[in-house]
Amino acid sequence: MNKAIEALEKGEQFSAVSFVLDDVAVASYVEAVEDEALPRLAQAEGKAWVPPMAVAALALRSLMEETVLPAGAIHASQEFEFLRPVEVGERIACRARLGHRSQRGGWWVLVVEIEGADESGQAVLAGRLTVMVPR
Amino acid sequence: MVGAELPSLAKTLSQEKIDRYARASGDFNPIHVDPAFAAQTPFGGTIAHGMLLLAYLSEMLTAAFGRAWLAGGRLKIRFKGAARSEETVTVGGHVQRVQEGQERRRLWCDVQCLNQQGEVLVAGQAEVKL
Repeated sequence: MNKAIEALEKGEQFSAVSFVLDDVAVASYVEAVEDEALPRLAQAEGKAWVPPMAVAALALRSLMEETVLPAGAIHASQEFEFLRPVEVGERIACRARLGHRSQRGGWWVLVVEIEGADESGQAVLAGRLTVMVPR
Repeated sequence: MVGAELPSLAKTLSQEKIDRYARASGDFNPIHVDPAFAAQTPFGGTIAHGMLLLAYLSEMLTAAFGRAWLAGGRLKIRFKGAARSEETVTVGGHVQRVQEGQERRRLWCDVQCLNQQGEVLVAGQAEVKL
């Protein structure tokens, strides 16, 4: 059963997930965001790079599959660090934990810390997502 | 180099584009994809995903810094406003600080996303190592 994000305790881990950045998912993302720069760079370098924000977006999607984000939730801030380029076809394993939980006015302030790593365990992505959820 | 402008990008949003991003990202929050629901919120209509605006920022940073953005790029932003469907948003920025290292140069850039009224929707800082 999915758990409401505001019901998580500080320090609580999300279920670890992994996903493959397959060519269909990446192409769908690139088309949706109309990214022209990444395909040019990838072609110039002869690599099938994945847009770094695609790795982040798909990591968040996977992590949130077991967590309910209320309709009134607001994405307040975001930090990402992209540690190395990721290529189409790679499998990314993601972990996340609730790093902060507090109340401000009529809102929960929740900070989710995420990490993404490749199959060898090398980190490819780190991030912090701040979400405001109505109480 | 300090003060140099990053290559700005303009994108015109639409509900179709927002829906396409929802399908690609799996984020079907009704504030983005359900006009009837969104009309009852303080926004008065659907708004684009914040991560879509960040994708536009990332495209600009890829164009500006190439592989250095993909390998070691950092982005720290705050969402300050919502982008409504049919709005045109522009992402831009400039080099704010440079630190010379022994092997690599670190750049900090102020970045932002504005709507067509010039209102700041996203503001923050990007860092790259060249």
